[in-house]
Amino acid sequence: MLSLAQPRSKPLLPSGMKMVDLCFGSWTALVFLFLYLPIILLVVFSFNASKLNIIWTGFTWQWYEELYRNAPLVKALKNSLVIASITTFFSVILGTLGAWLLHRYNYPGRRALNTLIFVPMVIPEIIMGISLLIFFTTLHFSLGFTTVIISHITFCFPFVLIAVQARLNGLDPFLEEAAMDLGARPLEAFFQIILPYLMPAIISGALMSFTLSMDEVIVTYFTTSPSSATLPIKVFGMAKVGLNPMLNAISAIFIVATALLVVAAEMLKRWNK
Amino acid sequence: MSAGFSLQQVQAESQRQPALPGWLLLSPLLLWLLLFVIAPAAILLVYSFCRRDALGQVVYDFNLENYKRVFDPIYLRILWRSLFFAGLSTLFCLVIGYPVAYFIGKAAENMRNLLLVLVMIPFWTSFLIRTYAWITILKSEGLLNSLMLSTGLVSLPIEIMYTPAAVIIGLVYAYLPFMILPIYGSVEKLDNALVEAAMDLGAGPLRAFSTVILPLTWPGMVAGALLVFVPALGMFAITDLMGGARVPMVGNVIQNQFLQARDWPFGSALGVTLMTLFILVFWLCSRKLKPLS
Amino acid sequence: MKPTTLLLAAATVMMAGLIACSKTETAVAPAPAKELNLFAWSEYVPQSIIDGFTAETGIKVNYETYASNEEMLSKLLSGATAYDLVQPSEYTVEALIRANKLSPLDHGKIPNLGNLAPEYTQMPHDPGLKYSVPWMAGTVGIVVNNEKIKEPITGYSDVFNKKYKGRIVVLNDNRELVSWVLDTLGLPVNQITADNLAKAKPILADWVKLVKVFDSDSPKTALLNGDVDLGVVWSGEAAILYKENKKFQYVLPKEGAHRFIDSLCIPAGAPHSGAAHLFISYILRPEVSKLISEDFPYTNPNLEARKLLTPEQLENPASYPKGNAKLETFTDIGTSAADIDKLVTDLKSSN
Repeated sequence: MLSLAQPRSKPLLPSGMKMVDLCFGSWTALVFLFLYLPIILLVVFSFNASKLNIIWTGFTWQWYEELYRNAPLVKALKNSLVIASITTFFSVILGTLGAWLLHRYNYPGRRALNTLIFVPMVIPEIIMGISLLIFFTTLHFSLGFTTVIISHITFCFPFVLIAVQARLNGLDPFLEEAAMDLGARPLEAFFQIILPYLMPAIISGALMSFTLSMDEVIVTYFTTSPSSATLPIKVFGMAKVGLNPMLNAISAIFIVATALLVVAAEMLKRWNK
Repeated sequence: MSAGFSLQQVQAESQRQPALPGWLLLSPLLLWLLLFVIAPAAILLVYSFCRRDALGQVVYDFNLENYKRVFDPIYLRILWRSLFFAGLSTLFCLVIGYPVAYFIGKAAENMRNLLLVLVMIPFWTSFLIRTYAWITILKSEGLLNSLMLSTGLVSLPIEIMYTPAAVIIGLVYAYLPFMILPIYGSVEKLDNALVEAAMDLGAGPLRAFSTVILPLTWPGMVAGALLVFVPALGMFAITDLMGGARVPMVGNVIQNQFLQARDWPFGSALGVTLMTLFILVFWLCSRKLKPLS
Repeated sequence: MKPTTLLLAAATVMMAGLIACSKTETAVAPAPAKELNLFAWSEYVPQSIIDGFTAETGIKVNYETYASNEEMLSKLLSGATAYDLVQPSEYTVEALIRANKLSPLDHGKIPNLGNLAPEYTQMPHDPGLKYSVPWMAGTVGIVVNNEKIKEPITGYSDVFNKKYKGRIVVLNDNRELVSWVLDTLGLPVNQITADNLAKAKPILADWVKLVKVFDSDSPKTALLNGDVDLGVVWSGEAAILYKENKKFQYVLPKEGAHRFIDSLCIPAGAPHSGAAHLFISYILRPEVSKLISEDFPYTNPNLEARKLLTPEQLENPASYPKGNAKLETFTDIGTSAADIDKLVTDLKSSN
């Protein structure tokens, strides 16, 4: 049967699978609990009166107040966001393009290429950091935002590529052929049919890339300058004196803001429909 | 049905030899790999044959000492242990993450993206703070033990922190999303018609699952397994924080060579060995792992 | 498709905007003549000092941080950035001096060197302070939770006792571990020979089995959480613990202890040597040095600054330990560091 690449609206569940769906649903709820338990704790501890933030001593708003005045920390978060966004943007382009081309064409040495893409993932971060530092220094490239973004893209794009590749592996070849037969040029075929089909994998890859970049510290340390210092670097630096609840506060604000943004976007979409 | 073409023929047709546009479009990827992956890896390779001087800088003095050291039983044992931990974590992630990926993939369309983002949001907080939160949960006087003691499940606090169990929990927690997301990509495109057809032919849900759904989501599972196993191999921070740095993993050893011991050549040799090992295994398995159309 | 295209377009515009913003940040700031590139431990230079210095001299401070001596060395030696000031520990200072990587200090520009306690001016790694000026000092010693442990603990052999198995935290520093064993054996801590390591091995093997947590970054966590009852940690950690709760007592091991000194140095070829000297001179002022002590309860080598400290700060046994245990600084051991690493890795992984 020809499967048409049109978005399905309501999933039709065969009755026998309803049980499976229920089980999976409750399991998912449990897993979400597992994922969010430390986060709930993190938010709670942002109100901890103890500066060392290891034992709970009492409730206070002071860290949120101090955060308001702590420019370097807020700047670090801004740096992280900018770097992660730009990294994700280019990783998605590089990864999706790469996955599609490798699928479409029979390049000589394709297996070698596929294996090479894994190298940034296997390489321990410290090795990547130091080798990139040496590389940039040899080329007299001054460290800063650009070098950090380049290094982030390098280990992020494989994640996008592999996610998109997995989805491509089931791609019905009739799809593209059908589009061509109907008179579409290859470029149009790509954008009108293939890209929408790949969207879920691209979104997965983009989310992974953003996450990896936001939380990266070692490679960033070796490729950064003071002005581009990111939040993880600041956090790791504070481990010695105690992880100030201010760090919890900034994380808490960030997640709550993101969650609200996402929910708002969803509600907007539903409203527009 | 196909108009006289076999599936293989069509596939062969669509996988054409690349013309100029094909190469041109691939060039950014190739250039990127060359500049930022191959070049640094080459530097590493060169270093692995060098030795360190008194200050810890690298001196080019071709020797194979570092590689001889790599095959010392100490390091082989550590490598084996790392493989074990990474493998176990991957397995747990697969079992725990698959149902979640399936549920999200089969959810109503407007919910899917929302659920995906909700999966990721916890990991947009700092790794260190998340891990400290886990310590607060798992320590002897922590939440978990308090809960179990107060409900009478146990009479003495269970020691979880600073044991291998804590390391596994930490690894699974850190990498679960990287298993869920790729599997989601495969599940989302599942045509319900296929499952329905299987059910119509008399298969129960379990049978439909194992014969239809699992094979179709195989690419996603493979991708997820790779995206968890490979980074988990080089992981060191979780061993340090959750495991009390008691038992070194290959990631810790490599970290040490570049920092405490300042023996970059040996660290490079370890790194090259790790990469070569992986590349070999992947190369050999890539035929088997490539799913059948 | 429309919403998706819109989203893509919006994202592109946003990206372009962000790129534009971030580029301007780095481009619009041409390097002012009055600048100082400070490369120091993270959380070791109070912001108040940096702000005060800039306010007084008009020199902008670019404060870059690192979390270990080795990380600092990696970045410094790569030559990526020309730093004006670095903050190495004593054995790293020694190595840098020997490799001619440091610029000699002009004592004429640092008049208040006299504020320092005399014992810190003739240390073996830099006698006469030709290349370095001490920032803060400390020791590595024993911290005991005396609510859980009632017996007197006076040295390493008391700590590594079978009855404390699984209740001990130590630094995750292989060289420190080996030095404690050498102290126990009465061997010089800086004499890392194959012979000495062989003698140390069996003792270290026993000790490693008793340890629950190896942590150099925050050993206070395990102690505060009650997961361990005693340990061998940095004096700064112990001082923080004591400030939290006086049940955490600090003791210098009778067999001998490592005294470390973190100093400010000017790398060879530093572009703003004048500014660097000004900064060093600035932090030697007692009222400025006092600010460091307030944030970081290590041992302040500045005698004049100590006069300004509160009695509470001075009576902290970890900041200003009493007694006269043998204190030694580390020297650079070069390639032997790799031998130590191999030994400890072997012992740890045999567990």
